[in-house]
Amino acid sequence: MTPPSNNRRERWFEFLRPISARRAWILGVAIWVLFFAFWELGVAAGAVTELLVPSPHKVLMTLIGMLAGDFPADIAISIYRILLSFLGACLLAVPLGILMGSFRTAEAFFNPFVSAWRYLPAPSFIPILLMWLGTGEGPKLALLFIGVVFFLITLIMDHTKDVRREIVETAMTLGANRRQILWTVIVPAVLPDVLVAMRQMLAVSWTYLVIAEIVASTTGIGAMMMRARRFLHTDEIMAGIVVIGVLGIVFDMLFRLGHHLAFPYLRERR
Amino acid sequence: MSAAKLALRRLGKQFALNRQETVAAVAEVSFEVMENEICTLLGPSGCGKSTVLRMVAGLERPSGGDIALDGRAIGRPDRDRGMVFQAYTSFDWLTVRENVEYGMRINRVPAGERRERAAHFIELMHLTKFRDAYPRQLSGGMKQRVAIARTLANGPSILLMDEPFGALDAETRWHMQELLVTIAEETRTTVLMVTHDIEEAIFVSDRIIFMSRQPGTVAADIIPAFKQGRRWRRKEEVIELPGYGELERQIMRLMRQHGHRDESE
Repeated sequence: MTPPSNNRRERWFEFLRPISARRAWILGVAIWVLFFAFWELGVAAGAVTELLVPSPHKVLMTLIGMLAGDFPADIAISIYRILLSFLGACLLAVPLGILMGSFRTAEAFFNPFVSAWRYLPAPSFIPILLMWLGTGEGPKLALLFIGVVFFLITLIMDHTKDVRREIVETAMTLGANRRQILWTVIVPAVLPDVLVAMRQMLAVSWTYLVIAEIVASTTGIGAMMMRARRFLHTDEIMAGIVVIGVLGIVFDMLFRLGHHLAFPYLRERR
Repeated sequence: MSAAKLALRRLGKQFALNRQETVAAVAEVSFEVMENEICTLLGPSGCGKSTVLRMVAGLERPSGGDIALDGRAIGRPDRDRGMVFQAYTSFDWLTVRENVEYGMRINRVPAGERRERAAHFIELMHLTKFRDAYPRQLSGGMKQRVAIARTLANGPSILLMDEPFGALDAETRWHMQELLVTIAEETRTTVLMVTHDIEEAIFVSDRIIFMSRQPGTVAADIIPAFKQGRRWRRKEEVIELPGYGELERQIMRLMRQHGHRDESE
């Protein structure tokens, strides 16, 4: 029972009016429930061929079965590829992006090179990567690295340039030298945004992972889905999509949690 | 009379408009600030008062003339010319106490002395209750108090302020003006402050340098004689003094004379 706050009835659609967290949550769940309900009912009513569109519960049962088999090994190798290539990209992009954002000279030198690479679609390198690096982990890791690193450098450079000039100038008039300004002002000021940029680019990383595994791999989630296609196992393909989605959300949440824990000072006044 | 704390002589600053043309933002600016004086740079917008202050801080390079602090030519920005900006400059990732200790930390002041000095200035700026809070949890006035405490705790030779209260609401602003007069007195600090607020300039200043536009130069060097050579800690005391209204009118005439004509005609 909600006590009447005022005598005007609350309308569902009202400009500029915030809604309660509970209602937002219910609405967010509702659309997924509706989506699966329509899907399930559509299949049950015979509106689609079950071979091409298995029902949601069939996909779920298949997934559970797969998790007892070889699938976890595929998931593990996919996660390993993502994390290793992403770690490599960060090790290059974070220091270089901060350097380019801090000093115009560094930006003028590196940026024409970095931004040109951003316009080359990473998958166009797959044939040559296969020739250079064989069929092992090399070409997959390289594709993921190339697909992410240049965007990450640019994002981090832009965030570093956005560090407010007044706080840098304040440090100067307090007697800080260049090294101190870099490590005690620019780095801590930009770090929260660096973590956000990493979170965004990790999502992009998943896209390249699936491309790499579909065209050039026998292991991993993407390769499993291509195998399933050969045997018309639509339910397994869909299970693969579900797992990729869930992993994406889990990694995203881990980054958000890390951000929340690492930067307590960003929480506003209660 | 003691020697000048800060002396500007024929200071100029030109900006390039394009390859051929330059425009003089500031030209032939000469004035002196005495030891322990609160001096304000006042004038219509676009008169180059902030540019002058930034040149004193070393944040902009003059095109000509010289600036001497304690008799020595100034160089790059350094701790002897600590600056407080209009925009909030608290380091978000440090608590109030860590912010105030920041300058001393980078200048390698021993931890014990650092803590002691920080505590003193935090107390002076009425921030003791908030010493462990992060800046995001503070109001605008408190953030500016942190900035002032941080600069003063670092022991500058002169305190530079660029419209430090410009972003604050009217009530907070006059509290801050009174606080500034009080702490400048207690810490015996020389202050050079930019403002466009006539009332603020008259209340806090021992000397007002009025600048005109195009090019920005000194139009008047005013000592508010009506204050009888002393500081008043309450704003209403100053407003009630005979002579206050006359000086305010004089400065308003200067503003009209040197301000943006195109807007008033």
